[in-house]
Amino acid sequence: MKTYGSDRGFSGEAFVPKEDDDVIICRCEEITRGEIRKAIYDGMRTISEIRRYLRPGMGPCQGMTCERNVRGILARETGLPLSQIPGYRPRSPQRPVTLAELGNESEEEGGGV
Amino acid sequence: MKRWDLVVIGAGPAGLSAAIEAAEAGMSVIVFDENKKPGGQLFKQIHKFFGSKENHAGVRGIEIGQMLLEKAQKDHIQVELDSAVIGIAKDRSVSVRKDGQTREVQGQNILIAAGASERTLPFPGWTLPGVIGAGAAQTMMNLYGVRPGKKILMIGSGNVGLVVSYQMLQAGCQVAAVVDAAPRIGGYGVHAAKLARNGVPFYLSHTVIRAEGDGAVKSVTIGQVDSSWNIIPGTEKTFDVDTVCMAVGLDPMSQLARMAGALIEEKGGLVPTVDEYGQTSLPGIFAAGDVAGIEEASSAMLNGEIAGLRAAFKSGYIDEETFRTEYKKKKAALGDLRKGTFSPENKGRTDLTLTSEGLPLSENLFEKGFLTDEEVTKYPGVIKKAGVHPVIECTQNIPCNPCQEACAFGCIEVGEDITALPRINPQADCRNCGKCVAMCSGQAIFLVDEEAGCVTIPYEFDPIPEEGEMGTALGRDGSPLGQAEIIKVRKSPAFDHTALVTMRVDKTLAMKARAYSRKTFSE
Repeated sequence: MKTYGSDRGFSGEAFVPKEDDDVIICRCEEITRGEIRKAIYDGMRTISEIRRYLRPGMGPCQGMTCERNVRGILARETGLPLSQIPGYRPRSPQRPVTLAELGNESEEEGGGV
Repeated sequence: MKRWDLVVIGAGPAGLSAAIEAAEAGMSVIVFDENKKPGGQLFKQIHKFFGSKENHAGVRGIEIGQMLLEKAQKDHIQVELDSAVIGIAKDRSVSVRKDGQTREVQGQNILIAAGASERTLPFPGWTLPGVIGAGAAQTMMNLYGVRPGKKILMIGSGNVGLVVSYQMLQAGCQVAAVVDAAPRIGGYGVHAAKLARNGVPFYLSHTVIRAEGDGAVKSVTIGQVDSSWNIIPGTEKTFDVDTVCMAVGLDPMSQLARMAGALIEEKGGLVPTVDEYGQTSLPGIFAAGDVAGIEEASSAMLNGEIAGLRAAFKSGYIDEETFRTEYKKKKAALGDLRKGTFSPENKGRTDLTLTSEGLPLSENLFEKGFLTDEEVTKYPGVIKKAGVHPVIECTQNIPCNPCQEACAFGCIEVGEDITALPRINPQADCRNCGKCVAMCSGQAIFLVDEEAGCVTIPYEFDPIPEEGEMGTALGRDGSPLGQAEIIKVRKSPAFDHTALVTMRVDKTLAMKARAYSRKTFSE
């Protein structure tokens, strides 16, 4: 059994499987509650670490659906309040964009002000 | 890069209100919205809004949306639809995707008014077709005229859950139950009462255990939770439904504010920290509406106006005095909307026991969605009087006062405090005009003549009953009480699609019958 420092709000008990572990949390990337919980026990203590490790929030909706629930799991497993659990780091593009759209940047000069 | 005085992200109530305020001050304004239609959620809101008469109370959301759009057009505001803002930078440049292209525009000011997304409750079976969000249900019904399902279970008893459940009844769906893990109904009692008297049961302190079905939802099982949210064995209950609707809260869409680098806090969701004018920690970048904290559309409009006003002042389009005067007015109106039993500070509280008048809040209304026949007599809107008179079953302090305006004969008083319970003035004479009945957003006003056994109710279901037909009078809890004869049906443009149906019941039922079913009554 690994023991982690308590500085990140985790006491270091062994991972215990739960009945609803197979419930999908991130629908875009099909990641379950159990996988996320396991990741926390594997040492991922922030939502960004979990995101890099498992890819929740990396699909088409960019975490719009799962962010709150992943934060909730982190809060429960680590005992930290939600206020101490930041969300995913949003990056551009926030919506799915095709390469053609990105390559087709229109130039619009002047005007407005 | 094209530059604008104000770039608004989101053409909902907050965004449009800000754009109008800024454009009327003379600013150049552009509004982007990723949807094909503007108005945000307003065009899905077919119910009459609460609030003060000055702020469109008693008017349906869909009409408020129309008013905002017309104003925006009149002000020549450029509203670009199907245009998703995909990125934003500290220098106030935003990237927009539209028509197979991306482009960048820059704003001297930016308002992020992107709204909110629906929260989900991941339970076993929640990914089955048939499990939908309340917003999706509203989109299907109110924008596209599609019934979301035949028989529905609603999860969540906040105003969204209550309002959408009622709309589902209006769409002809059967609502099997409204379920909430909290011990009290989260939304307005009057919204809950509309469901209860039409036979919808409430299950408080209950949560979903699982939804089941082969390829689609066929049933859902709920169970009662104890104080630590564990299911109490033996309390499981299964409903055969084809749809499970989730109304478990909204999450502010603060991603763009976060991307720009604004300071963020947890306030029932991740929101940018804003000052009293809606400016984030980044100068010139504002946030209003649900992005800055989940509230009603009426508050979103005022917050949007304040942000637009502030941007206009900061950019030199209005002078300080104009700004101060206007801001003060809007701030006061906003303050009014944030008072009462359901104020932001009372959110989630389950220990409130008294109204601001010191009257007991009905525990029954909180738990079952209806007032008992005894309880209802304790409130100032309910008096005994000969002849026809209004009976106002409004028992929680909700910021709303159109009833007072509705009566031209002085029967109804709310007074200065907009959250005060409406009082009946026993001296004033009711002329049976019915305007209060139609105007009440909570459908909590009835005209009653106890001697004659006549009860007039607001009616918003199709088909509207016909004069002369016989049906069943239903009690506040939805139970059949006795035979009802429809003696009068009133429709008028002044009633805005709410029919006033007068039924004659046995005299002893006049203070009990509050809904009507077209089914024949049988003992």
